[in-house]
Amino acid sequence: MNELIYGLVTGIIFGFLFQKGRVLRYDKQIGALRLLDMTIVKFMFSTILVAMVGVYLLKDLGMAKLSIKPTILGSNIIGGLIFGIGWGILGYCPGTQLGALGEGRWDAVWGILGMLVGAALFAEAYPALKASVLTWGVYGKITIPEVLGINHWFVVAVFVAIGMLMFRWFEKKGL
Amino acid sequence: MSRKVQEPRGWSPYLAGALAGVLIVFSVWFTGKYVGASTTFVRAAGYIERAAVPERVGMMEYFLKEAPKIDWQFLFVIGIFFGSLIASTTSKSFRWQAVPTMWEQRFGPSRTKRAIAAFVGGAIAIFGARLADG
Repeated sequence: MNELIYGLVTGIIFGFLFQKGRVLRYDKQIGALRLLDMTIVKFMFSTILVAMVGVYLLKDLGMAKLSIKPTILGSNIIGGLIFGIGWGILGYCPGTQLGALGEGRWDAVWGILGMLVGAALFAEAYPALKASVLTWGVYGKITIPEVLGINHWFVVAVFVAIGMLMFRWFEKKGL
Repeated sequence: MSRKVQEPRGWSPYLAGALAGVLIVFSVWFTGKYVGASTTFVRAAGYIERAAVPERVGMMEYFLKEAPKIDWQFLFVIGIFFGSLIASTTSKSFRWQAVPTMWEQRFGPSRTKRAIAAFVGGAIAIFGARLADG
């Protein structure tokens, strides 16, 4: 029960920040895909950089475990491409469309219903996918520092540097 | 509401994004939970299907893997709705809109057209998200 309350509270704060950052709207999402408005990229990359530093700090202090998704090239790449097509048509993400609905953009309802149907279709297709796409290029739970055999803080530092350069470029170009 | 009413600008996306990052760190620290959303649609679809064909859902491999249940992430996704509702209604940025502005400029004001595209796009997007496991 406690877990559910934590989930709800975390979601409420997240949704609040999404709305304040103006990242929920179709125009912002599609604006990023059309390379016209980088608001959501600024938001996402800021989140990733802060969380990356904080979570690795917790891990080094023995206070948290990483949650690593398995690398399966076939399903990661094909799934990513399929997701991108759907995202480009819908203009909302699975999580953020609930937030879009929360600020009155009620076409998100159709996206939510579509996602329920799409999830049901995926469950139908799962046995066939498991025997094919999900077996192509399986590398398991790997991370970039492990693969390169270097300390994770080097990788974090590179990501932070790339993020800062990207932010500076966005501001210069007025994106 | 008239479009001429200037909407408040909101917060810097860098600030709001960084605060979301801090929130993730606290979530991982206190509860060990990482954020996500797409599994929730699988669980919700499983719930709905189970009401119609319980035996079938009980045998489907993917619903055994991602069982229809209300978990941390399910409430997280619902929370996003309420968080956005609170932020928008307290800052005069809530607006009922059936067809997004940029969509309308390109595809016209038809609600039906937008509804069909959003539905199909949603179905495709979640299929890809689940396949990529993200």
